[in-house]
Amino acid sequence: MLFVAGAGRSGTSTMAGLMQILGLHVPRPEVPADASNPKGFSEPQWVVDHHDRLLAEANVQVSDARPEAWFETGRISTREPERIATSQWLEGHFAVNSELVVKDPRLSWFLGLWRVAAIRTGVRPVFATMLRPPAEVVGSKQLYYANKLGSAHLTASWLNMLLHTERATRAEAGAGRVFVRYGDLLEDWTRTTMRVGETLDLQHVLHADSERIRDGHRFVDPSLRRMGQSLDDLALPTRLHELTGETWAELNKLAEPEGDIPAVHDTLDQLREAYVDLYAESEAISRSSVVATEHRLRRRPGQGAAGAPKPAPAPDSGFAADKVPHGLRAAVPPSVRRGLRKLVGRER
Amino acid sequence: MAPASGAGAGTGIANREGHTDYDIVWPWTRPGGLRPGSTAVLRVKDEALSLPWVLPPLLRAMDHVLLVDNGSTDASADVARAVAEQAGHASTLRVTTYPFAVARAGAEHLAVHEQSVHSLAYFYNWCFAQVQTRYSFKWDGDMVLTPEGEWSLADLAWQVGDVQSIIRVPRHGLYLDSSRPDHGWLDLGLRNAEEWGFPTGPDFVFTKAFEWEVRTTPKPVRTIGLPFGLCVELKYLDGDEFAHWTDPSSFATSFRNKRKRREWEVFHALQDGTVPVGVHEISSPAGVHVVDHVTRTWLPQAPRPLEVGTVVTSDDRASS
Repeated sequence: MLFVAGAGRSGTSTMAGLMQILGLHVPRPEVPADASNPKGFSEPQWVVDHHDRLLAEANVQVSDARPEAWFETGRISTREPERIATSQWLEGHFAVNSELVVKDPRLSWFLGLWRVAAIRTGVRPVFATMLRPPAEVVGSKQLYYANKLGSAHLTASWLNMLLHTERATRAEAGAGRVFVRYGDLLEDWTRTTMRVGETLDLQHVLHADSERIRDGHRFVDPSLRRMGQSLDDLALPTRLHELTGETWAELNKLAEPEGDIPAVHDTLDQLREAYVDLYAESEAISRSSVVATEHRLRRRPGQGAAGAPKPAPAPDSGFAADKVPHGLRAAVPPSVRRGLRKLVGRER
Repeated sequence: MAPASGAGAGTGIANREGHTDYDIVWPWTRPGGLRPGSTAVLRVKDEALSLPWVLPPLLRAMDHVLLVDNGSTDASADVARAVAEQAGHASTLRVTTYPFAVARAGAEHLAVHEQSVHSLAYFYNWCFAQVQTRYSFKWDGDMVLTPEGEWSLADLAWQVGDVQSIIRVPRHGLYLDSSRPDHGWLDLGLRNAEEWGFPTGPDFVFTKAFEWEVRTTPKPVRTIGLPFGLCVELKYLDGDEFAHWTDPSSFATSFRNKRKRREWEVFHALQDGTVPVGVHEISSPAGVHVVDHVTRTWLPQAPRPLEVGTVVTSDDRASS
């Protein structure tokens, strides 16, 4: 059972698409291709819908920079009904194919849930995490997803996702996980994919026939890598820039042969801790912005704070004045309104 | 949010007996503070038989495992070191000793002041004061995880980070027939989900309850729980499973002790040759120990959601 993880716009579709071409099964129906990914996503629609629902329940965004978001999705993943639903879906698809590939940019948030589902189904989960320079990922998201979020936020969410995806799959280091540079895949997909197949013992890759390999060449387009910007182009806060650069350098070591070793894990632990500290500091500093947003949401007519239930309509008071439209009542000068209220014994 | 209590205030607790080398120093007050990660803390007394099943999954799931030996006569500490070495996790295990006799649960505990080295609350506080990570799990020397349990705990161990949440881990009694290693009884008649994971900090320290210790919490506090069927607690039918209690009358009446009464009933019924309702008699294939069979095959293959019986509240927090 191959799970393709990593940040969106990192080549996850190319990796999953190649695996599909080489014979691994992508459960259908798939998410249809669109302009942002004309060759298709290789994403099972059920998985995307499942993850969307779980993320909404956890109040976590796909690009969420909060370290605590991992506990929120982890909490959802402990729920027995979700474990049952995920396992049953997986089991149904294993009945028709011996090797599956599941990919979705939201997948990293639920790796634990999928691992449990794999254990329950009696299959071995393996993980391929795609690596692409963070500046290119951020640039691609800004281009294709109509950038609503600044580069600092997108970079922080990349750091959060990659540092924790590495931690979530660390126990599989050695034979159960690989890190793949998107650039390597585009440069020579045969060599890169064979390394993935050999490390993870993927039978369809190891025994792919010539026609499937031809299809692979038809599928991979080296010009897919259209972004060329660097971290300097993102104008990030200094500490975030440094952490991102250092993390990228360490993650690259994992993609080297024999590079997935404890020394690198230790450095990544330190970087993760530094990121958690940086986020906590930033969160503490920006508390006023959060409070102001909460107040703005509360004041917005007809809307409570996000997620808060709408107040029940007030019962009919029986007073004639309450039946006068609000706009008309508002036109009465406050001093006159106070006098009228006093007269009917309804002072505030 | 209301504070937990004043129990975790200051820099620690000095014991009443004047054993200054066993005074409690809260780890969050130490220079450098706490590190990220999770530690499982096992307080053990004569658990050498169980540790080869208990430790390997726990060592894989946790950043650190701290084993506090309290007067074992069966070389529990040596067994723990050997098991960790064999599992390739020697550096994850730390073994230390608490040399004082600790009051048994029930009447004996009630009679001891909580700042005495003989108090359960003091003992637990001392054990958890040795923790250096921001999150910790209380664990018993006879609790064995299934593979799903191991992965579930391993994920939460890093996911929890600085989140102030309690984690509950349901467990089921597995009664062992000492004459037949391929034979045992699993009690699914009891619904038992105790609080095992806590943040390390002044809001979550131990204080005295009526029969045993209780961990303080702020109010409100978040709690999450794992599903049933991920952890068993080993019970030896030829052992004295109730030695840590003053006497049976200590858990005879209160609602708090419902779990202990159930264990007493099941233990004695099985000894008398009767299988109580909700208890499954299990035989493992030839050459497979029943503990391995239950944790690696029987429980993982049992239909989900796992059918478990009578409700017992989390008030039942007795150590065992």
